[in-house]
Amino acid sequence: MSKRSSADQGLWLIIVGLAAWVIPGAGHFLLRERKRAIIIFITITALFLTGLYVGSIGIVNHETSKPWFMAQVLYSPAVGILSQKVTVGYLDADGNQQEYTSFGHPCDIGQLYTGVAGLLNLLCIFSAVYMAYCGRGEMIGAEEETEHA
Amino acid sequence: MHDFSLMLATFTAPISIGTDPASMLWMFPLLGAITLIYKATKMRVLLWKRFVTESLILFATVSGFMIAAVIVLNLITWLITS
Repeated sequence: MSKRSSADQGLWLIIVGLAAWVIPGAGHFLLRERKRAIIIFITITALFLTGLYVGSIGIVNHETSKPWFMAQVLYSPAVGILSQKVTVGYLDADGNQQEYTSFGHPCDIGQLYTGVAGLLNLLCIFSAVYMAYCGRGEMIGAEEETEHA
Repeated sequence: MHDFSLMLATFTAPISIGTDPASMLWMFPLLGAITLIYKATKMRVLLWKRFVTESLILFATVSGFMIAAVIVLNLITWLITS
């Protein structure tokens, strides 16, 4: 494989990092590390959705729980859109404006799950960018694929 | 469409979780996810069998230490309060 110029390499690292942030595991997928990508996507998405299920979407709120939101948004930029929806609230059957609320133990557990999911994705973003920097995907990814071909 | 709406509705209200000791079991899925991601990012060459084995060993080890910590802390509390 031809060696990239330093400008191309920089752009490639940014693309890998952004892909890994937008969709968990996509960074590794671009590096041909498909098994890692599948494990990362399923695990982090399951963790995040479990957190949302336990605490409801009310736990994602950039106004009332900013520190948690900063960890949660590392899961994907889509969390920012969700937070926007949550802060706006919804109209009930009588046409009154209502808020999505969450409190108590389910809120704690939900925030913990979603926050950890975001932080784990940050770890995966660093991992994908580092692998791209080292050219790992071109070596190890191919090595794994050929071993089981 | 109705089923999809119902599914989405389950995410708009929190589930009921008590503050009893059984609620501590919620740490295990979190620990499992951390274990899987740690191993997925750490292993140089990822082979399924080795990945599963190493993840299980790490999960069991960390769980063991956490359970041991719970027992020791409970013993200390019991000794102080009795």
